[in-house]
Amino acid sequence: MMRWVGLHRSPVLPVTLLGGLALLATIGPVIWPFDPLAMDFNAPLAAPSIAHPMGTDAAGRDVFARFIFGARLSLLVGVAVVVGGLVVGGGIGVLAGISGHALDNALMRGIDALAAFPPLVLAMSVTVGLGVGLGTATLGTMLSCVPLYARMARSDILRLRVRPFVEATVALGAGRGRILFCHLLPHTASTMLVLSASEFGYAILTIAGLGFVGLGAQVPQPEWGAMITDGLQYALTGQWWVSLFPGLGVMLCVIGANLLADQVREILDRTVDVDGVR
Amino acid sequence: MLRLVANRVVSSVLSLFGASLFSFIILRLTPGDPARLFLGPFATEAAVAQLRGKLGVDDPIPLQYLAYIGDFLRGDWGFSYTTGEPVVRELMERLPATLELGLCAFAFAVCGAVPLALVAVHHHGRAADRAALAFSFFGLGVPTFWFGLMLLVLFFERLGWLPGPDGRLSLNVAPPSVTGLYTVDALLAGQWAKFLDAARHLILPAITLGMAPLGFLTRLLRANLLDIAREPFILVARSRGVSRWAALVRHALPNACLPALTAAGLLFGQLLAGSLLVERVFNWPGAGALVAEGVLRQDFSVAQAFILLSAVMYVLAMLVVDLLAGLIDPRIRHPMTLE
Repeated sequence: MMRWVGLHRSPVLPVTLLGGLALLATIGPVIWPFDPLAMDFNAPLAAPSIAHPMGTDAAGRDVFARFIFGARLSLLVGVAVVVGGLVVGGGIGVLAGISGHALDNALMRGIDALAAFPPLVLAMSVTVGLGVGLGTATLGTMLSCVPLYARMARSDILRLRVRPFVEATVALGAGRGRILFCHLLPHTASTMLVLSASEFGYAILTIAGLGFVGLGAQVPQPEWGAMITDGLQYALTGQWWVSLFPGLGVMLCVIGANLLADQVREILDRTVDVDGVR
Repeated sequence: MLRLVANRVVSSVLSLFGASLFSFIILRLTPGDPARLFLGPFATEAAVAQLRGKLGVDDPIPLQYLAYIGDFLRGDWGFSYTTGEPVVRELMERLPATLELGLCAFAFAVCGAVPLALVAVHHHGRAADRAALAFSFFGLGVPTFWFGLMLLVLFFERLGWLPGPDGRLSLNVAPPSVTGLYTVDALLAGQWAKFLDAARHLILPAITLGMAPLGFLTRLLRANLLDIAREPFILVARSRGVSRWAALVRHALPNACLPALTAAGLLFGQLLAGSLLVERVFNWPGAGALVAEGVLRQDFSVAQAFILLSAVMYVLAMLVVDLLAGLIDPRIRHPMTLE
């Protein structure tokens, strides 16, 4: 019993989950060539059937086609948030870590200011300020990832800076650039990898949440959060499918990402000791 | 201890200063002229210009920032563009509902997480442990608003066991207001039927809002307990003949709770943000729903106040939690190993 979670030792389950969704997002429109925006007023709110495996919504749009495009949007947004957060947040953290007291302090005070907001509220505030839409929602979510990236990167650099191998490289006469790019950054890769996996899940969850309160993607756009909102008023009158499937999509993505982060961390912990003694 | 207090208070004030700058920028960036938004599309240019002068929209930016901070500290958070009511009154009216929901969700998360984590560690590596872990992954991964909706579909629409998304009471006659928490007020007034009704309305929203904190706490407590279970003092307790379960509950648990306490600030943030999403699903008349409704009507006045307010509450919560941890744990008070 529960053997399937016993796959815990190697990241088979999360890779299958995320890989499957990514595959669906890429080749989905080929195997299911329906327009996610095409309305069919002859079949509004049709229950799941062979013709519409996930049913149709109130405007007769095929939920499965919308699900596929939602997967595409969510995964792309997740990647964009992670890349942006890694570059901006990681960059700030590394800069703070290698520079002197004054700049370090100034940068980290700025990060503290961002961290003073609950992440979702921070993401929300950006869309309020810059105008509602999927683009600004992505930007806001990215910004809300920055503090964590910056703090993790900085503490990694501070820890690495005083390690003997770095001191040895300094003694050998290596320049700052060489030390940074050849010795410090590669050692932060594992932390950043684990963090990125969990932030990927966070990003998808947040974008869906923003879409749900109307701050992210707007309704005809096939985004999972907005799709759930779309089905909100029909779910309690028996037409549960409009909301059910996009929510399942979000859930599978986030669980996959969190599992991946967990298992990659475990694998890394086993191979590399915290102090770098292999 | 005094040094810890001073340190933490100063850094909290600094980050709040930064946060207020950030939310001021947001306020300035928000599209639309506040005076025009407030007066509506049919007001004359002269009236708009007059209100602009009164609101100080044309003053120099630093002056505006000072006025913004002053107004916020005095509790003057502007007016709603659609109803014309002061934002602070609208928010305060809605706050008890959010508070009641948040408290119940928090209680649900704690009461669920402690036994789950204990059972998981007691059966470490076996089915119960895996089930608890899988459950915590579910809690962390499920979109709360969607989970709430699915709970409604199951328990209200299909089974009819619990009330639907019709707010805090079936008949909207509130019990005599003392605390603003309907369950407590009903008990104080001795209205048993009303208490039951309010409690039944609380069940689904509280479970929904508490789901993410539950998953988070379960994971955290489980990891802490597993670490502590390897400590020598647990071995000593076991060798004195203390049973596995008793060693876990009486010796490991109190020590595992301290790191969990420091994470409670994050939990508070989760509840605050979660209320934005969950209240809408259940038509819960709380502060989060007020913000969400405002956003849907393109009325960002409440959202702007909420942004800075939530930063203040979040930072205060973290400050209190840090000071509490210092009060409980001398190792935090006297950090000899750190720098």
